[in-house]
This record gives sequence, structure tokens and C-alpha cells, in this order.
Amino acid sequence: MQAKKGQIKVITGNAAAAYAVMLCRPDVITSYPITPMSEVAEQLSSFRADGLMDAEMVEVEGENSAMNVVAAASITGGRVFTATSSWGLAFMYDAVQQAAGFRAPVVMAIANRETPGILAVSGGQQDIISTRDTGWIQIIVENCQEIFDTLIMAFRLAEDFDIQLPVMVNYDGFYLSYLSEAVEISNQEDVDKFLEPLKTQPQRQKLVGGQPLGAGSHGIDLGFVEQRYKHCLALERSAVKLDEIDNEFGDHFGRRYSGQIDEYRTEDAEIVIVASGSAAGTARTAVDAKREQGIKVGLVKIRLFRPFPQKRLAQALKGKKAIGVIDRSINFGWNCGPMYSEIRALSPEIGIVPMLSYIDGLANLDITRKNIEKIIDETNNAAKGERYQEVTWIPLEWQEEK
Amino acid sequence: MTQEAKKQPRVFNYFTEKDDQFSGGVAWCAGCMLELTARFIPKVLGKDIILVGCPSCSATVLYGQNIGSWHKLAYYSCLMTGVASSATGIARYLRRTGKETPVVCFTGDGCAADIGFQPLSGAAERNEHILYICYDNEGYMNTGYQRSSTTPLGASTSTTPFGSASQGKPTQAKNVPLLMAMHNVPYVATATLSNLEDLAKKLLKAKSKLSEGFSYLHIFAPCVMGWRFDSSLSIEVCRKAVSTNYFPLWEAEAGKFRLTQEVSNPKPVQELTKLLRKFSHLKEPDLRELQQTVDARYKFLKGLCEISK
Repeated sequence: MQAKKGQIKVITGNAAAAYAVMLCRPDVITSYPITPMSEVAEQLSSFRADGLMDAEMVEVEGENSAMNVVAAASITGGRVFTATSSWGLAFMYDAVQQAAGFRAPVVMAIANRETPGILAVSGGQQDIISTRDTGWIQIIVENCQEIFDTLIMAFRLAEDFDIQLPVMVNYDGFYLSYLSEAVEISNQEDVDKFLEPLKTQPQRQKLVGGQPLGAGSHGIDLGFVEQRYKHCLALERSAVKLDEIDNEFGDHFGRRYSGQIDEYRTEDAEIVIVASGSAAGTARTAVDAKREQGIKVGLVKIRLFRPFPQKRLAQALKGKKAIGVIDRSINFGWNCGPMYSEIRALSPEIGIVPMLSYIDGLANLDITRKNIEKIIDETNNAAKGERYQEVTWIPLEWQEEK
Repeated sequence: MTQEAKKQPRVFNYFTEKDDQFSGGVAWCAGCMLELTARFIPKVLGKDIILVGCPSCSATVLYGQNIGSWHKLAYYSCLMTGVASSATGIARYLRRTGKETPVVCFTGDGCAADIGFQPLSGAAERNEHILYICYDNEGYMNTGYQRSSTTPLGASTSTTPFGSASQGKPTQAKNVPLLMAMHNVPYVATATLSNLEDLAKKLLKAKSKLSEGFSYLHIFAPCVMGWRFDSSLSIEVCRKAVSTNYFPLWEAEAGKFRLTQEVSNPKPVQELTKLLRKFSHLKEPDLRELQQTVDARYKFLKGLCEISK
């Protein structure tokens, strides 16, 4: 470990995000208020007001503009940041896709919140799912320290010359956005040092006045296909790059997150539970409890959702006897969880074993330890050859046990 | 003529002495007033600008295809929802890094008046250091002559067609330049291609105001295909729009309104409408209503000039 010990502050997830962004010395920041993200913008504005940060802050008139401003500033050469949630993400949907197509290294924090149809001022991961096909890198984190650390890593990843893609850092709205935890705030010089390799790399093409350069030319025939293909390759590269950056971060700051996925007691596990976000912490406790009862269970926490960590998931899940997947969102049209269906797509690599989809934690409902323990029991029974239900809407089906 | 005025390049000089930033053959229609506007802007503002635009008639040339382009300007193309906001991002970063490159939005009325109006209004309210130029061809000409909110009362478009139960567009045009002036930004002006000297002056004034903040130029740009007139008449249509007070030429500097060309004996609006087949179905009462709209708007504008003196 090279970095000096940082200052410990008890702060919310939103504040942790703001501190990380400030330390990365951004050029342009945009914000438009939305629950439960607004505090990120407020914190950054107060840093600016107190002279702690000199970034250009644009208080736009809507999220669509928030994304357009940062994407364009990024193409012009700036380091940029914005944050949103839910409907805000939906309102910037066209610009979100454009930022990725432009290969603009935008970093965006998302305090996840329910989206479609029903108004819900409550947590859920449906906003991640609604943007999974936009060509962004999507990372999901578990706690406030991880928000802080991952945002710093996100700038390294987004702006890496080999990647040049926008990155969303997702954390559970309400659960993490408003949760106060002890967070180690790294020192400015250590963050500077960690981001230094971006300066010594080849520099990305920038839009310059007076030069015949265009951003967003009309893609025709093979020109379009080539750009799409290169975009896909860059996304693929970003998975391994995240592992590398995570390692480097660990060496530098002494905190590690295992990159694409985080495995807990999976090595000798017979069955595995898959979870993401703040539920992963609860799941670890449930795994420990069930281990004590003699069930050989492990946990895989999905950190990288786009690109999907196919190789590392296949390695982690291969040979397991049953897999239970917890989703905080819906895969409309399949009536199951989105992560579940994506993991099922890995069946050729993993093997044909019982896979159980659990939908829980919608609209701020808690994914409780008790629920996860029951998930482990059911998955364990399925591994033993018992009949199982493929998809369970926990809040509707397990009501009596609350 | 004073010494000062002599130093100012004349319109003639712009066309003969300055390099054209566009290729000779481009994908714009014969008689297109947008083309003349696009070629003229860099001649006056200089070639070291960054243009920001969106899908539109202008995009057919400005976007380029794959790695090819019909022009030599730096261009940022975004969606119709993001022109003023993208320009904001570019200008903010450039200014932060000490560069004074003019950032110029160039869109049609579909973007400025309709789908891109929110970010346009937002950028004006924040007084961003950008110049927004709208070439107003009174509808969505690139997608097949549909109505926009600057389409005038009674005009037949592909979505407000004249028919046995329809007299064309039933509502009046949104007065976008006036709305922009109400943001009290450093500079707002209207201009058209029949008065190039006036347009050049306004472009230069808008450029000089970039250090203070936001400028907006609204350019009347007739569309041969959508309005249905002979391509040799484009400039004549502009001229008639001015001489009938259908499109008065004015400017507003930080809320102070001034007519830059006062028409002493305005001609009846029929002088303009008779040239355009989009109005050919209009009967006497419809034309009277259109004339009343023109008169009322002009009176209002004159009033603004008076009280803001």
C-alpha cells in the first residue's frame, strides 16, 4: 500500500460520491435534482461554493441537458460527471445512447430507483436494466466506501485510451444514498497519483475549433458497422481492464473489490447465491449462517453488469449444483429477474443445473436475511433433486413469513 | 462614410475574398436559403468556430458521412433535444481552458421552437457564452414539410394540409425571437438573406457579445420545396417578407429593442403569400386574419422599441 491513511468521515452514500468526484478534479459537472440523488449535486455545489473545487457547474433545466452538456464537454476534452436516478435517467435516454456511441468518457452516478409505469419514490434496480443496452459500462456497488472507491476507478476506466466509454456507477437509492457509514476519504495527492497514468497515455481525439473535425458523423453502411463493432470490442476490453484497475487500486489504497465479480466462500461451495448492490452484504451474513448449519453455500456479487462478466461468472459457477439469483428488478417479457436470465444464458459454460430466480426488494422492500436464508434452503433442496419453482416473487409469495 | 465604417468588410468582400468552407457541390436544394446562410456564417464569423447542430436539412451536409465531409468546419452533431445543451458543454470546457473559440448552434425552427426549445431557453437563462442561430423555414422541411410551431397561420403543410375540412394550420406561429429576447440576454436579432449587409452586421455583433454571454439570431430562410415556389424567387420571398412586415428586422441588446430596417409603407401580406403555394388556398377572410396577425405583431414590436428606448 502506497497511499497514506485517509480521513474517516461518517457520511451518506451520496456524499461519498460527491467527495470522490471532487478528488478526481472534474472540469464540468451537471446536475438536475431528483430523489434520491439530489444530495450529490448539493454536496458538489457546496464544495464549489467553499472553494474546494473549481469545476464548471451547470445547473441545467432537465436531465436530458445534463447528459448533453457533459457528453459534449467530454468530447471537447474535459473530465466530466453527472448524477441522476430513475426517471431522470429515462429523460436523458437519447443522450445516454449518444454519449456511448460518441465514446464519450462520461462518469455518471446513479442512485437506483424504480422506473417504469408506476410512480414509485423508492429503490429498485429497474433503471439499470432499462439502460443495459445503451453501450455503457455499468458497475453496481454495495456500500458507501465502495461508492467512493469505484467512482475514482470509474474515471480511470472511462478515460483509459483503450476504453473511452461512459461508465455508470450504480448504488441502491434510499438504502445507500441516505445511509451514513464510515468512509475513508483518500488524500488528494494519492488520488492524483492513482489517476496519473491517464496523463501519460496517448490522448483521445478532441473537438477543436478551426480543424475539420466532426463528432457524430452520419454512419453509412460499413462505416456504421465498423463503429458499432469497435464499440463492442471496447466494452469487452473494459471487463478485464476493470480487474486490472481494481488490482492497482488495491495496491495503492489497500481496498479491493475483485473487479467484475466478488466471490465469497464459493471455492468449496456446492450451491451459489448471486446478488448485487446492498443486498450482497446481507447475503454474506446469510451465507455464513447457513454454512454453520452445514450447507456448502457461496455468494457471487455481480459488480460489473455491462459488459456482462461472462468468463468470470462461468468460472465461478461452473460445477455448482444449483444457483439462486436475486434480482431487484424485472425482466419484462420473461417474467423473471434480468440477472437470472443473463446467467441462464451462460448454461453452456456452467452446465445444466437448477437455476432459481428470486424477485425481491422492489419499491424499497427489504431483501431480508431471513428471505435470503430461505433462498439458500430452496436452492439447496433443488441441488438435491427436489422439485423447485423457477421464479418466485418473494414479496407476493412469502408474505406470511414476514 | 467615416474611416471606421470603411474598415468594415462589405458583404461583397465576404463573398469574394473569404474562403468558402463548403464544397461546391452539396446535398442542398437549388435556391435553398439555408445553404446561403450556412456558407455565409463562417465567412463573417471566421472559420475557427465550432458548429453545433442536429438532424435537419443542415445535417445532410454538416454531419458528413463516415469519415468524409462536405465542409472544413469543426462540427458537433447531436440529437434535436441537445443542441443548446451540447454547445453549453463545449463552451464551458473551452472557456475553462482559456479558449475563446466561438461556439455556434445552427438549427432549424423544429429544434429551436419545438423539441429543442427547453435547452435553448435554459442556456439563455444561464447566459451561456454561445451564439444560437435558427434558420426558420417554418416547418420540418427535412422530413417532408410537416408543421412546426413557427409555421404561420393558414399554411398548408403535410400535417396541416388544406382540404375540404381544413384551411391549413389553424393556429399562429410562435414568435421565437421575441421569446428569446424576453430572456434579457445580451443580444437577440432577426435577419434574412435579402438583407445580407444587415445579417453580416448582426453576426458580428452577436460574436462580439459572446464575451458577455448568450446571443440568438433568428434567420428567415424560405424553403423552395416545402413552401412551393420557384427556386429563382428565394431572395424575392425574403425581400417580400421584410417589405410586408411579415418578418420585421429588429435587434434587442440586453432588452433594448430597435428596428434595424423600418418599412415606411408596408405592402399587404398578399404580396408575399401570392408567391407561395403553401398559401394558395387562402381566401379573402383567411388573408385578412393573417394580415391582422402581421399588423398586431408589428405594432407590438414597435411598442417594445418605444418603451425600451
